[in-house]
Amino acid sequence: MVRKFGFLVAAILVLASICESAIFNPISESHRSAALEIFSPSDGSFGSLEETYEALRTFEVLGIEKKPDIRTSACASVVDTIWSTSSPLKDLFHALRLNGILKCELNNEALGGIASRLKDSLNDANSLFDFHYSVGGLVLIKDQISEVDVHLEDADKKFRSIKALSQSDGRWRISSSNTESSTDAAGIALETLAGVISLASSEIDQSLIATLKNDIVKLFDGIERYDDGACYFDEKLVDASRHQGPLSASSSVVRGITAFAAATSESLNLPGEKILGLAKFFLGIGIPGSAKDFYHQIDALSFLENIRQVFIFAGSIPLISSFPATVLSVTRKDQLKVRVSTVLGSASPPLSVKLMQIFTSGSKDASVVDQKLKFDADNAVHVLETLPANVGVGSYIFSFEVILDNPEDKKNYATGGRTKVSIHVTGVIKVDSSEIAILDSDLGSTETQKKLELPGENAISLSANHLQKLRLSFRLTTPFGHAFKPHQAFLKLRHESGVEHIFVVGNSGEKFEILLDFLGLVDKLFYLSGKYDIELTVGDSVMENSFLQPLGSVELDLPDAPEKAARPPPLPVNPYSRYGPKAEISHIFRAPEKRPPQELSFAFLGLVLLPLIGFLAGLYHIRANLKNLPKSTVPATFAFLFHLGIAAVLVLYALFWLKLDLFTTLKALGLLGIFLMFVGHKTLSHLASTSSKLKSS
Amino acid sequence: MVAAPQKTLTISLFITLNLISILPLLTFSFNPDEPTNRQILVLLDDLSLRSSHSIFFSSLQSRGFNLDFKLAQDPAISVKRYGQYLYDGLILFSPSTDRFGGSLDLEGVLDFVDSGHDLILAADSNASDLIRNIAAECGVDFDEDTSAVVIDHTGYAVSETEGDHSLIAADDFIQSGVILGSKTIEAPVIFKGIGHSLNPENSLVLKVLSASSSAYSANPTSKLSSPPSLTGTSISLVSVVQARNNARIMISGSLDMFSNRLFRSGVEKIGSLKKHGKSGNQQFATEISKWVFHERGHLKAVNLKHNKVGETGEPAIYRINDDLEFSVEIFEWSGASWVPYVADDVQVQFYMMSPYVLKTLSTNQKGLYHTSFKVPDVYGVFQFKVEYQRLGYTTLSLSKQSPVRPFKHNEYERFITTAFPYYGASFSTMIGFFIFSIVYLYNK
Repeated sequence: MVRKFGFLVAAILVLASICESAIFNPISESHRSAALEIFSPSDGSFGSLEETYEALRTFEVLGIEKKPDIRTSACASVVDTIWSTSSPLKDLFHALRLNGILKCELNNEALGGIASRLKDSLNDANSLFDFHYSVGGLVLIKDQISEVDVHLEDADKKFRSIKALSQSDGRWRISSSNTESSTDAAGIALETLAGVISLASSEIDQSLIATLKNDIVKLFDGIERYDDGACYFDEKLVDASRHQGPLSASSSVVRGITAFAAATSESLNLPGEKILGLAKFFLGIGIPGSAKDFYHQIDALSFLENIRQVFIFAGSIPLISSFPATVLSVTRKDQLKVRVSTVLGSASPPLSVKLMQIFTSGSKDASVVDQKLKFDADNAVHVLETLPANVGVGSYIFSFEVILDNPEDKKNYATGGRTKVSIHVTGVIKVDSSEIAILDSDLGSTETQKKLELPGENAISLSANHLQKLRLSFRLTTPFGHAFKPHQAFLKLRHESGVEHIFVVGNSGEKFEILLDFLGLVDKLFYLSGKYDIELTVGDSVMENSFLQPLGSVELDLPDAPEKAARPPPLPVNPYSRYGPKAEISHIFRAPEKRPPQELSFAFLGLVLLPLIGFLAGLYHIRANLKNLPKSTVPATFAFLFHLGIAAVLVLYALFWLKLDLFTTLKALGLLGIFLMFVGHKTLSHLASTSSKLKSS
Repeated sequence: MVAAPQKTLTISLFITLNLISILPLLTFSFNPDEPTNRQILVLLDDLSLRSSHSIFFSSLQSRGFNLDFKLAQDPAISVKRYGQYLYDGLILFSPSTDRFGGSLDLEGVLDFVDSGHDLILAADSNASDLIRNIAAECGVDFDEDTSAVVIDHTGYAVSETEGDHSLIAADDFIQSGVILGSKTIEAPVIFKGIGHSLNPENSLVLKVLSASSSAYSANPTSKLSSPPSLTGTSISLVSVVQARNNARIMISGSLDMFSNRLFRSGVEKIGSLKKHGKSGNQQFATEISKWVFHERGHLKAVNLKHNKVGETGEPAIYRINDDLEFSVEIFEWSGASWVPYVADDVQVQFYMMSPYVLKTLSTNQKGLYHTSFKVPDVYGVFQFKVEYQRLGYTTLSLSKQSPVRPFKHNEYERFITTAFPYYGASFSTMIGFFIFSIVYLYNK
């Protein structure tokens, strides 16, 4: 149920998008060009025999002359298939179908062989498709060549077995093992049964045919229906991998019933309105995108178009009323045209179109007119020359009726009663007495008032505070002098920061007026003072001069926002600015420490060396001498070693400064220290004994 | 001898750590190693859409995508098996579906996107709550009024049969060559459907096609008493999202936009004198689907390298004030192969908590971006970061760690001239002491 509903909705949308209130256009040039696009041969062929048949059949129905030349290759594969003893039934059937169009050169012998093969297979057929291909093949042979005997002796038996296989409890199915009911199967079964009837060598039992007729009527009782009058057969057995759906199912049923009617020359009592509904369904699809759907649509429409030749349904050739334009401009003086044609776009019998009723959109009132449209024979359209007096600018639903001139035709054609079409009558709306004013609140007296040019350039600049009001008013009249109420009448205030406020301009009587009381609006305006741009939009679907007009600006002086006031909403960020490259950053290095100039350092170096020089000079001055040096060898050696040791320690310090690390230095210093202690003790004790000796002496 | 294996270990650990930081880039559904041959699930309300929208579908198929068509209510729908996603993309052309068949639901769709897969969603005036909720989760809020459609009385497409001005000729495109292709779309796009607004809190969603300033979203048959919730340029007709995991989403308020009928239809915008023989819909839909399915704007960065000037190997550590060179290669997926990406705004950051250096890379026009700079005089653990976020492109976010150390004690300057007086003082004292010790001991 849900699925069905889903389909319904989607299909209605597809339909609705094609035509608002169910205008169905017959097959036209766009279909032909699309057909050539969709059925375009690759490498000189359309693919399989089935696809080739579908392409050629579509071209044939559409009457396309300039079709791709694939006859030679297609015929070659037809002959191959027919001569081959191992080709499957399906291919044989499609080859024979293709041969029916291409008229390849096949001799009777070949077809005779095929006929007997098909008959044999009929005896051990156990699925609906087997029957369909065999019987279909025999019918095709019968149509193509008369010499071959294709008659079935036990037609009654075959008829019964097909029926038993394909139908139980009023449900049609593809095979007896598959219990799901399928409308597609119904169509195929009908076509096959019709084939059996036409192949029967003796008369088929009438009671069988009567049951089948009954079944067809039942099948039509289960037809699904859209609001716009389109009817279709739903396919319950939907499989996404196969091209199945309402379109193929409906198409299959149409093929089946026309085949049945042709075979029995029985009159089927089917309502013409349902046949018209089917035609509307096929047309409502528009231009299908897939080759399969295209074939199903065109093939089914061709059967509906040619129901005439079958002469069985009462009033059943669908006539489609199409409307080239439903938007009529009063200024351009457009005329409403109605074209009535058959589904494939061929001319209709003499008829007249009458405008019966006019509904005003949005209300239930209908005004009854009975106006006959003038027939323009050159363009084969019916023209409504003047719009009825009560139709002004606006949206209406017109109700038309097609009446056949010749009572004879009523038997053959289905016009489908009244056709309702939504019509938009557009015109230029006059805008006048437009003005904008600032009013003082309590007194209502006008402070400033400016006239506006609408539509036109305006650049007013006003100023107001929160105690004042802004009034904008204008009047709209249709070309017929009536007051006009547009669907869209918006006044927009845009603050410099980008915050927008929209007000609907209401109408009081003939005049449109909006009064903005800023005292009541301060909260809504977020207490934002400053310049507001004013913009007025007036538009309607029937207003040809809909406009969006900047009027100028108003400088508002509003009180400061209280603490709890709402903040303006965040404004959308401009995406372009968000994604730009970032500003470059380069690291600022620490500045090197400030140093005095070299000269200064050298000068100070000189200064610190001065005391040493002074010391040396002092030594010289006091006549320092080394007379106390030990004279004997051993003390002299110790003294020398002691001072050498001191020098070594000092050199070690210098080396420490230059390159040595602390550990090496301490190690060397330790050794030197022990050495110095030893020689120092020797030297100093020698010096001490010398001096004590000197003192005692 | 002992130090060598240890050093190798350190380096391999280092490389592994770096790889882990780049690894998230490699785990997108769009696999840069195997970007072609992608599976897309198409969910339809009705299989007839397959035929009525066949041009759009066949353009995808001709670009190498495998489309799997299913009815939205098909009980066999599943996008995931044993934790593995079966599809790389999802097209939801099922606006009226209020429950998907099978195991798919709102969370399922969101998980699908969260795991980096792409989504195209088209709604129309019958959009169900499910579809609206999916859109809302992506930052797109469809008009809450279910009967509202976008109407534009000064920007509609002229039509002989459609008079309510809900067939809109929209030509306000996003200025982005990567999203809409380098060829400008000349003809307006015909749109018929519902409008949406972008959630201001979502910074990832972008308006691709917006309505004109005179548009509004309302029910065309009923009278307006209060201002419509959506008006003007804030109405977005088609929006895209690029999630942080580079999953891409396109949301359109019109399913008809993708139909064969509007692809083929001519368009004349009211007020414009130019009549286009063919609407911009096909170009628009094809180009934007190329973007959504990563045929454009998907970047990858490889060979991120850095070294000291004059050396080639990557050092384990830098010293402050070293001069270094940095390079990275960036490629863009063109739908068939990786081509060098050329831009002049790729930037590298030398980053520790905040960028210390941010420099625009120079390019050799063949995908190689390089620069050189001096390591700042701050030590710590730094990262080379390439954060590349551009409109429509996938985000590149690379980082590679590299520590910076200060000078060693023996790397400072010695024998500074300024210190000469001190040196002189010490040595003169030492010389003085030496002489004094001799003179003091032996003077008579």
